[in-house]
Amino acid sequence: MAASVSSSVSPLPSSGWGPLRRAWAVCAKDAAQELRRRIAAASLFFFAATAVTLVSFAVGPFGLPAEARDRVCSALLWIILFFCAATGLPRAFVREEETGTAYALRKVVSSSLTLAGKTLFNYVLFLAITAVTVPAFAILLEWRMGSAGALVVVMVLGGYGLSVVSTFLAALVAKASQKNVLFVVISFPLLLPLLLSAITATIAAAGGEMASTPIRVIVAYDGAATCAAYLLASAAWED
Amino acid sequence: MKILKFLLLPYMAAVIAGAFLWPAPAQGFIGESSRIVFFHVPCAWTGALAFLVAAGYSIAYLATRNPRHDDVAAAAVRIGLLFAVLALVTGSLFAKVMWGSYWNWDPRESSFLLLIFLYAAYLFLRAAVEDPERRAKMSAAYALFSAVLMPFLFFVAPRITSSLHPQTVINSQGKILMDAPTKAVFFGALIGFTAVFFWMLSLESRSARLERAAAAARR
Repeated sequence: MAASVSSSVSPLPSSGWGPLRRAWAVCAKDAAQELRRRIAAASLFFFAATAVTLVSFAVGPFGLPAEARDRVCSALLWIILFFCAATGLPRAFVREEETGTAYALRKVVSSSLTLAGKTLFNYVLFLAITAVTVPAFAILLEWRMGSAGALVVVMVLGGYGLSVVSTFLAALVAKASQKNVLFVVISFPLLLPLLLSAITATIAAAGGEMASTPIRVIVAYDGAATCAAYLLASAAWED
Repeated sequence: MKILKFLLLPYMAAVIAGAFLWPAPAQGFIGESSRIVFFHVPCAWTGALAFLVAAGYSIAYLATRNPRHDDVAAAAVRIGLLFAVLALVTGSLFAKVMWGSYWNWDPRESSFLLLIFLYAAYLFLRAAVEDPERRAKMSAAYALFSAVLMPFLFFVAPRITSSLHPQTVINSQGKILMDAPTKAVFFGALIGFTAVFFWMLSLESRSARLERAAAAARR
């Protein structure tokens, strides 16, 4: 156990380091682990590639009617991104339980900072996936984006909410049985208001507009989810 | 307290009779379909109240770690789900009469279905954890996290798109658009359904407490 802990946990800053640097240290530790084994990133990229290919085979050759294109493509894109998140993001906490490093992490870093660090790592991972998936999706389905800037805003804000909620729920299910199925079951209804708003905003972005109402809903959702996750981190993660 | 439970029976009988016999059917609705408001809205209200009670007891559990609070929270979710399903079924019956189809993808209809998914997931989560203390802590965290995000499902999402749902109770004017007899029966039903919920909650909580005591005695 001790050997496993010392080999997997990078030395964390001792006294004098601010909370933000501790959260950053957790994020850096996850990034270092991921760079060594690349399981989460590989599974995310592979899932995204498979889903985009499948959708383009199913829909692409037949073309979509112009009036339905933006709506259908926006919905399909966010469905792919949601399942990408469900495939890779829970790894952040599940890995700690599987490798036996969860106990050490709980002792070294407070639960809220652990959650912050892992959320940051998952967010970066999600944005990386988005940066690859969205252009590939647009090319394969011949989907023209009216306002790329508005789409980036939706992806950045929507991706943040998706990462916060997914990371919090990953902490919650890390010790449960049937983690993967359970994660999808409990995350889908919680993420749906965010996904609906993100789809609405993406449809508007495809039409060249920045939709203010769904964007405001996403910002409010992101804020509420961040506060709730911060306050409930210890209940979700500590033993 | 016991006498109140016995009084609940004639009270609910009076509410049901009043719902079918007293107020005239509302204008603008097909036939007698408007009478469903006396059952549909109280069911939806009781479901939402149950989920708020679950959130309250979840806070109490995290603050005190008293397992009885976890029992009450879980019982409130189970009963809340029952009322939420009844609200969905009564709403679908109304939709069939008024709009010709049981399911119309109305935003309020859909958001209520998602609310049911949200709290059904709570029960899945409980079933997936063996250790009672850990189960209670995780369930409390999930119930509170859901309670924070529930307004987005309940109030925000339905307002992004237009709704077929009648605006007699929740509307932009902030008024209840009903005549006096309808209002009397409506509020009577709300009080009655709320009382039935608390009665069921006390029975469920007591049952969970007895099960816990029996399990402790077996050990």
